Amino acid sequence: MSEIGKVRLRLPASIKPGDVVRVRCLVIHPMERIERDNQGKIIDKKYNYIDKVTVTYRGKTVATFDTTQSVSENPFFAFSVKATEPGKLTVTFHDTHGDTYEGSADIAFS
Amino acid sequence: MATRWFAALVLAAGCATAADRSEVPRWTSRAIPEARGDVHTADGRRIAVRYPGWTTQDFGRFRTYAYDDARPAPAVQRATPPPDLVGDASRGRALFLDRAKGPCTGCHLAPGDDVWPAGSVGPDLSTIGDRKLTEAYLYQQLWDPRVTFPSTIMPPWGAQRVLTPQQIVDLVAYLQTLRGPAPPEKDPDRNPFTRRKPVGFGDNLDPTNNPAVVRAEDAETLWNARGPAGKSCADCHSGGGRKALRGVAPHYPRYVPAYRRVMSIEDFLAVHAPETTGRELPVESADNVDLGMLIKMSSDGLPVAVDTTSAPARAAIARGQATFYKRVGERNHACADCHTPERGAGKFLGGRLLGDVTTGLTRHFPTWRTDRAEPWDMRKRFQWCMTPLGMNMLPADSIEYAELELYLTQFDNGKPMNVPGIRH
Amino acid sequence: MAGRGGDRDVTRRSMLGAFGAAGVAAVAGGALGLGGVRAAAAQTLGQNEPLDAALKRVFGGRPMKDGSGMVKLDVPLIAENGSVVPVSVEVSTPMTPQSYVKHIYIVADKNRIPIVTRVALTPDSGQAYMGANIRLGETTDVRAVVEQSDGTLLAVKREVKVTVGGCGG
Repeated sequence: MSEIGKVRLRLPASIKPGDVVRVRCLVIHPMERIERDNQGKIIDKKYNYIDKVTVTYRGKTVATFDTTQSVSENPFFAFSVKATEPGKLTVTFHDTHGDTYEGSADIAFS
Repeated sequence: MATRWFAALVLAAGCATAADRSEVPRWTSRAIPEARGDVHTADGRRIAVRYPGWTTQDFGRFRTYAYDDARPAPAVQRATPPPDLVGDASRGRALFLDRAKGPCTGCHLAPGDDVWPAGSVGPDLSTIGDRKLTEAYLYQQLWDPRVTFPSTIMPPWGAQRVLTPQQIVDLVAYLQTLRGPAPPEKDPDRNPFTRRKPVGFGDNLDPTNNPAVVRAEDAETLWNARGPAGKSCADCHSGGGRKALRGVAPHYPRYVPAYRRVMSIEDFLAVHAPETTGRELPVESADNVDLGMLIKMSSDGLPVAVDTTSAPARAAIARGQATFYKRVGERNHACADCHTPERGAGKFLGGRLLGDVTTGLTRHFPTWRTDRAEPWDMRKRFQWCMTPLGMNMLPADSIEYAELELYLTQFDNGKPMNVPGIRH
Repeated sequence: MAGRGGDRDVTRRSMLGAFGAAGVAAVAGGALGLGGVRAAAAQTLGQNEPLDAALKRVFGGRPMKDGSGMVKLDVPLIAENGSVVPVSVEVSTPMTPQSYVKHIYIVADKNRIPIVTRVALTPDSGQAYMGANIRLGETTDVRAVVEQSDGTLLAVKREVKVTVGGCGG
């Protein structure tokens, strides 16, 4: 059974210097939805969902997603990055319970 | 010999009682409690035990797929509208669209922008009022259409007490108001006969697209973990969880002589894991489904190759086919009503495009259910399908389900395995 | 727009949004102790509010140009299931340090939380592109709002019909 926070990243199989690379990523996370009581009133609690995703390439932030409960469970995100030099691409997911999950991949040229 | 089996198959197609059940042993379920189809009594009420979030309503009055359920199909009933009841067309329209009932729109198109998503399994009723059908005739069709159309797939709504006489009178009043000419269609997607087909959910084998792949990959940990008996799967099957059993899954479900029954991969895991590793792996537990996915994934791309020729396989397929055509539950439906091309397959049931058994329904199972955010094996899909039809489910590892799965899987023979799938 | 009462209400909300962000962040950060400003600031992005209020709060009533031709919003026309609806946006303008797409917003008009996500891009992104799986509560317009580095807003929208239920599911 997969635990919360498992991350998968996907990059194209072959990358050349200067390519604009499309990256896909997924994190296992419940993205808790707003719940209501029998009267239809919103239950006030600290819902656990991912509210920020940061993408860094060679240590520099290239994209940031601010996210809400309107994003699906086990969220998927895609973005592009210009592959200028070999280096590490890292995606970090932050949730509202203060946990962070990370996935990374090396951009290398073939 | 061959002739006799052929005859059994032909008979089974038309008659649910023809298949030979004498050789089917008793089976004690190895499924998790939610998956066993148990019914409890509490405060004098019967409560069906099902998965979290599923209805607990007991449908014990209606016949099931159990081989020992010999109850006959509900008798055909004639009915006439009670003279003291007056139909109300607006109530009838609300009922026609009410998701808590049929809904009628699941199968039939009617006028109105709020009719969404209508299905195309039954005739378009947009102008049925023009046909000058009598109230008595329409009442009978809703009460029990088998009087006029013996092999119809429309449920006998009145005979099965899903709808009351007043509700049927209201529906008839509504249908009589549906007069042509129908206004020009503003939106081709509203009409199931012109609606675009759903596009699916992308590459099912991409772990960033299908969370089931992540689940299956993580099952490698389970593959390598030693059970209480001190052994792991990896100790006997070398090559790693992604490769060791390549070529095994295409032959499942199969007859396993040691247990004298047909087993799916998941059934086999539930008996084999405790015997070898000491680890319990009950059917429909997350571990069982995930490990089953990992094993099936290792055969992705290989052609499905279930046994259809041995004597036990042929007997099981004949029984599975009889199940497929057996009408069951409150709605008196058979699998075949929705999934054969001559009936519902390829048509919309509400917004769902119904799969066609002859093109294969099984080779992507277990499949990720996007609306439930979990992977389902074939049997949980069966249980899900059967519950809204008003029938108590069988244990997930019942022999009935395994043989139904085998019957379905033979249509996939020769086609590449593609696990895990991803569906709505 | 439901007359003056509605307008006044919306104005009050947008004022709170405009002035309140820093204050709310400080209070919530202190009270909840959850990564402070970051968590609370993101919380203000996704709120249970009507569309009009969301647009005023986030875009402050700034004019939006029709983005069709430049902004490609890819969504299924029919979503079999509103829990997982793939959305992607591609903007055909170049990404240079002088001029680039700064933000891409996804808005689902009829969602209880209409603002779905805001993606901040940089020239290093190489291309103004984003994708995500989103939730839709019902049939609704989905909008992509693109904010360029000079502050220009471009918007496109497409209707997604959400299928729910069906007998066997």
